[in-house]
Amino acid sequence: MTDLSPPSSERLVTASNLSVIRQKRAILDDVSLNITERDFITLIGPNGAGKTVFLRHLLKLDSPNSGSVTHRADLKIGYVPQRVDIDPGLPISVNRFLTLNNTLADAELEQLANVTKIQHLLDTPLSSLSGGELQRVLLTRALTNKPDLLILDEPAQNLDVNGQLQFYTLIEEIYESRNIAILMVSHDLHLVMSSTRKVVCLYHHICCSGAPESVARDPEFISIFGNDMAKLMAVYPHTHAHDHDHDHGHGHDAEDAS
Amino acid sequence: MNTHIILTALALALVAGPLGCFVVWRRMAYFGDGLAHSALLGVAVGLVIGISHQIGMMVIAVVFALLLIWLRSKRVLATDTLLGILAHAALSLGVVAMALLGAGEVELHDYLLGSLDQLTPELAAWVIGGAGLSLGLLLRLWPGLILMTTSEELAHAEGVSIMRYEFALMVLMGVVVAAAIQMVGILLITSLLIIPASTARLLARTPEQMAVGGSLIASLAMLIGLPSAQSFDLATGPMIVCVSVALFIIVLVGRLVLRSTAP
Repeated sequence: MTDLSPPSSERLVTASNLSVIRQKRAILDDVSLNITERDFITLIGPNGAGKTVFLRHLLKLDSPNSGSVTHRADLKIGYVPQRVDIDPGLPISVNRFLTLNNTLADAELEQLANVTKIQHLLDTPLSSLSGGELQRVLLTRALTNKPDLLILDEPAQNLDVNGQLQFYTLIEEIYESRNIAILMVSHDLHLVMSSTRKVVCLYHHICCSGAPESVARDPEFISIFGNDMAKLMAVYPHTHAHDHDHDHGHGHDAEDAS
Repeated sequence: MNTHIILTALALALVAGPLGCFVVWRRMAYFGDGLAHSALLGVAVGLVIGISHQIGMMVIAVVFALLLIWLRSKRVLATDTLLGILAHAALSLGVVAMALLGAGEVELHDYLLGSLDQLTPELAAWVIGGAGLSLGLLLRLWPGLILMTTSEELAHAEGVSIMRYEFALMVLMGVVVAAAIQMVGILLITSLLIIPASTARLLARTPEQMAVGGSLIASLAMLIGLPSAQSFDLATGPMIVCVSVALFIIVLVGRLVLRSTAP
């Protein structure tokens, strides 16, 4: 597997040769992945490819049949789940949800709420938030423990196009402004292309991985996602080529969206 | 009315508030019913091996919870189906066993609908102790349980052991149900948990308000229901539940009226 991170970066998560078998079917088959500091990895793959199972193992929520996951000592991970269903029977404000089971000071909460643009929602009941608002609140919660790594599982899946653009812009802003690595499952590759440094394509095993442009040319990628997706990916970086010196030209999506 | 009865009622009401919240939030009503149904088997087991009814009920409740967790992990049948099988199997076994052990109709009736006849001061002390311990444990686990209620996945990722918390909640239910059955009865015990909590939901803005409100409303239902049952010589459970439902309706209607008249 290609590892694009500079060798000096510190490794946060090492997944070696993970195999997971459920009901005699291999969900993950010899999957290895390293996540190092400042990585921005987008994990893609068709439905049922084992993406969520893979994330659960990276988070050490489940243990594999074989292989291992190692975290750097004192690694802090912020996790944004695919979706949460808030029972309307539970009366709880956003503010309270964010401070549940942790020791977040008011000032820190306010500062985080500013970043994720949820200041006006802090007193709102959690169950009455819109999809986009709820995702921003979950993202805020994931940032409360000052994570070294943010793991997001299709965070924009239930949002409309506008909401998706805004959410991904926010993720990019967070990546730019914090010393954080990101691993995100997303199908909206064209929307996260400018930040994504590495694409990993999973279909029970890792089909291909590398820089977005190179992955788009990979025959296995094309056979799974089709030519359209490959073209979309291959075209996009040309118009935004060499976008790693982010002065200001980075926020096209946000400006278009607002 | 004797002091030990009032104290028992208040202790049960106190723990019913917060525990009832979780029954509402985590949709455990059917589980509570299942536990209660299995309690009769616990009484029978207690009679056979010569331990107290309460201990027998708690043991069977824990076995019930473990069996449910184990069967659920097999992912073959839905949880409510499993609960239906377990609960009714336990209830039927209990009724048959009680009959074989020579229990009369009156005794069965008392277990099903609640009665104060068997509530000696000694038993009251046990019930109050059990309720107090449960309340203490519930308060200790409170933040983690609330987080788990918003999202199990999130709580798990943040290091809350879901298995342990869920099991703790199930055992707590078992203890409280076993403690309260004498007074409220097997058939109605779940309503002591969910009706006051649901009433409090109509008024609460935080989880804590809902829990405390549930305790207060349950206390009120006990303090009105028990003396009325006694003075009319009725089963205690149905009377307590009638009062709870009346309180629920009053709050519900009051809220609707206030809302419609608000500017």
